[in-house]
Amino acid sequence: MSLKLAGITKAFKKEIVLQDVSLDVETGKTLVLFGPSGAGKTVLLRLIAGVIEPDAGTIQIAGRDMEGVEPEDRDVGMAFQNFALFPHMSAEDNIASPLTAQRQSQSEIKSGIQALAKLLKIEHVLGHKPKELSNGQKQRTALARALAGKPGSLLLDDPLRNVDAKLRFEMRLELPRLLKDQNATVIYVTQDYKEAMAFGDQIAVIHEGQVQQIGTPEEIYLTPATTEIARLFGDPVINLMDVAPEARGRMVSVSVSDQPIMLDPGYAEMVGQECVLGVRPEAFRFVEPNSPSAIPVQVETEAPLNEKTVTLVLTAGGREVMVTRPSGTPGPNGGTAHITIDSAATLLFDRASGRLCVPKATIAGEAIA
Amino acid sequence: MQQKSTLEQILRGVALACVIFFFMFPIFWILLMSFQTNETILRVPPSMVFEPTLTNYRSLISGTLEGSTATLEIKFMGNLWNSLFLSVTSVTVGLILGVPAAYAFAKLKFRGSEDIAFTLLSFRFAPPLLVLLPLTIYFQQLGLADTYFGLIWVYQLIVLPLILWIVRGYFEDIPSDIEYAYRIAGHGFWTTFRKIALPLAGPGIAAAGLLAFIFAWNNFIFALVLASADKQPVTVGALAFITAAGINYGQIAAGIMLSIAPTFALALYAQRYLVEGLSLGAVKG
Amino acid sequence: MSNPILQLKKIDKFYGPINQGFQAVKDVTFDVAKGDIIALLGSSGCGKTSTLRMIAGFEEVSRGGISLAGREVHMLPPAKRKVAMAFEGYSLYPTVTVRNNIAFALKSSGKSSTAVGKSVEEIAVMLEISEILDRYPSSISGGQQQRASLARALIRDADLYLLDEPMGQLEPQLRTLLRGRIKHYIKERGLTAILVTHDQTEANALADKIAVMEGGELQQYASPEEIKDAPANLFTGTFVGEPPMNVFAAKVTTASDALIFTLQDESDLSFPQAAFGETLRSRILAMGQVMLGVRPYAVRRHASGVQARVVANQWLGDQSHIAAEFAGGALVLVEHDRADVAEGSDIAVHFDPADLHIFDPTTGAAVSHGAKIAS
Repeated sequence: MSLKLAGITKAFKKEIVLQDVSLDVETGKTLVLFGPSGAGKTVLLRLIAGVIEPDAGTIQIAGRDMEGVEPEDRDVGMAFQNFALFPHMSAEDNIASPLTAQRQSQSEIKSGIQALAKLLKIEHVLGHKPKELSNGQKQRTALARALAGKPGSLLLDDPLRNVDAKLRFEMRLELPRLLKDQNATVIYVTQDYKEAMAFGDQIAVIHEGQVQQIGTPEEIYLTPATTEIARLFGDPVINLMDVAPEARGRMVSVSVSDQPIMLDPGYAEMVGQECVLGVRPEAFRFVEPNSPSAIPVQVETEAPLNEKTVTLVLTAGGREVMVTRPSGTPGPNGGTAHITIDSAATLLFDRASGRLCVPKATIAGEAIA
Repeated sequence: MQQKSTLEQILRGVALACVIFFFMFPIFWILLMSFQTNETILRVPPSMVFEPTLTNYRSLISGTLEGSTATLEIKFMGNLWNSLFLSVTSVTVGLILGVPAAYAFAKLKFRGSEDIAFTLLSFRFAPPLLVLLPLTIYFQQLGLADTYFGLIWVYQLIVLPLILWIVRGYFEDIPSDIEYAYRIAGHGFWTTFRKIALPLAGPGIAAAGLLAFIFAWNNFIFALVLASADKQPVTVGALAFITAAGINYGQIAAGIMLSIAPTFALALYAQRYLVEGLSLGAVKG
Repeated sequence: MSNPILQLKKIDKFYGPINQGFQAVKDVTFDVAKGDIIALLGSSGCGKTSTLRMIAGFEEVSRGGISLAGREVHMLPPAKRKVAMAFEGYSLYPTVTVRNNIAFALKSSGKSSTAVGKSVEEIAVMLEISEILDRYPSSISGGQQQRASLARALIRDADLYLLDEPMGQLEPQLRTLLRGRIKHYIKERGLTAILVTHDQTEANALADKIAVMEGGELQQYASPEEIKDAPANLFTGTFVGEPPMNVFAAKVTTASDALIFTLQDESDLSFPQAAFGETLRSRILAMGQVMLGVRPYAVRRHASGVQARVVANQWLGDQSHIAAEFAGGALVLVEHDRADVAEGSDIAVHFDPADLHIFDPTTGAAVSHGAKIAS
């Protein structure tokens, strides 16, 4: 069931939470709403579910305008971040709630619950009350309840937030397939960029009540529209360095710690402008001191991070830079080291606006490899 | 720290005993009085040694009071029945009106809802006598004076604010997400109210009902002014024991024992709810 | 360890009467060397917070002893122990500014106000709270409060720094950078710190040694590398490591010069006998049944491998996480580049015998890591 939001605006008292938000999700696709807390993601889900009303704008589900349509008539399922299980009902009755609303027979309800419980591995706790469930079981029960009625649209509000790391990882691998099998249109809210990249056919980055960028995970990660978005995707965070591009023959270069970094000639119009160079930690490499354009750095600390090693280094100018490499690959021996930048993997932003600069198309073969 | 010392245990016991003695002594003394005649009650110095008698209870139940000069008819059992009827009906009406109102005040924030809720509560602040004077006149004109209907109506002044405020607190404590979840699952507003809001506020509703019952039972002034002998509750009925020939302490004591018995039993039975209710829903599971 | 600054000796913690109440900590013993950062790692209810609170002095030690810098401290009140603590719940004084919150302990220690001011400015720069120094705790975000609380603990002069979930609320973009800076700060000054965390990423990033706890017991106390390469038991093996270790039940047999692990779906993993030492071979053959563990990054795609069907391939920008159906269970592999495998396609996975961890299926204890027999 397709979902279309146009010009949604919502304010509580005087505070504007959402401003002119428009989104379009095709049937069976997953859209991830990604953004820091307080960005208005949860409010957006509630608007779609119909438990609150927008101040302006329209919501269409399956082509039907939802104005004045009660939540129970919208054919949506929702999983809440805090689970919102009914405390006085068993897990089974919780999951059954959409089915009883559809007036299914007892045997249909029973078999429906059994199938879901098996899929989500909560068969053994169906008789338990929510307070007797672990967080992981609560989360699965809440998910089962959202799925049980086979709704056309599924709204998932950061469902993995309150579960432990191990389960979160497992669910991150399992859940996309489960959702695909449901064949529902999914809106998934998260603050975890890894979840966003893993789940989303499309990601909408929301910040301060506005959609900042919509795109596939590739587009968002490789061409973030602003420095802010670049900082939100990637761990460790992208290194941002103030630079001023200069013309160097037909090339454009910037200087980092007195070492020239050659950029795409398509950046020619940025020459002389104040810019920010974005370099992801994995785009740095440790090299021998005599390598071309090696930047000398002081090694501060090293720490492992999910099969990578993160090194915090200081350039001669006192700039902090984070460098990662796959665990087990050789790195610096403390003290001083030298790094180079993979210039093809860099991003250039306009400093004043923070917006990404897109290089003008260059003749094939002329771009720097 | 795990093992309390013996001295500590003894001191705790003594302290507890003192508190219990302080609060329970009046009731205990009245219980003793209810089994005595006026002569033994008024002995100086008072003594705990006496020959117990059931005459006080007997005369209350039979309805005849043997005075020194004459025999007085009292309708104590009728009063007891009036108390029960008035309290139960008032609370029932109060719950039927108050619970949905409390829900509206808690969950459906509308313009002026806070003001209206406070106005309702403020009825509790008004001195009852001040209200009573004009009320008596209206009631007489409307023909409501000395009717059960009129009394129950007036009792709403006591019962309704109490129920409203306690139950509202409980409804406010129910996370909206839980109700939203039930709505989104496909249930309408009223089903959600019935299946989610009511059961979850159940302890609060029970506590409010119990407290309202006790407050209604203990009411004196409304019934004193607005009800004649055959509609009077025990609180007013007990006045009959203060006769021209003297005060019948024994019967008063027995009357008190009989009249507090239902509320006392209720309080003991539902202690937990009452405490929760009085802390206005602050207790969360 | 020549000269430990902190020693925990056979610590028990009961809530309620000894031997009858709930036992939160069971016979925990470990030493902390001066200048080390130790992480107490475990899920909620594993006893890590109780242990930390006993060291700080907020909980009584039911049995056993704690000595800090040569003093027996377990009977001392918290204020006399010379420990600094950053609390999980921030616990900033609400009535004074962030600056005064941080400076509080320093001022009472009698330092000159200019020296105090300078230290506060320095630590504020490190934790990126310079701009909010003059605000009140209620007007700053949870992440900022946590950084202020960290600053207040780290600025003090103490024998031991206790950090309870120090970064749980931190903004994700700052986390890795601040971890780096805090580690540098602690190391540069030679401070000794214990942090309690449920987040293994944090433990791995900061700690010299990790004490893994579960069910009130210390499961392993070792460096992050050692825990990764040689987990003491199945619990540690699967708890530490993101993504978690893949584990399969296997039956062990021999055939000519190969050692064969038969998995649950009857598929075989066959390795040359020479890859395992003589003693190890006879030991696992005698066991018959083993649990086989392999870390996700050690699983390689290789033509000579065993068939597996891809169920998910998630590219996270700098890594690809691939989940595959394998031997009746799920197998996870991590690649550092973008993996070009479609969901539903078949891949061949290869395990190097050097990357295999073998566990006893009944006790969960590690038997071997690669060819190395677990001690």
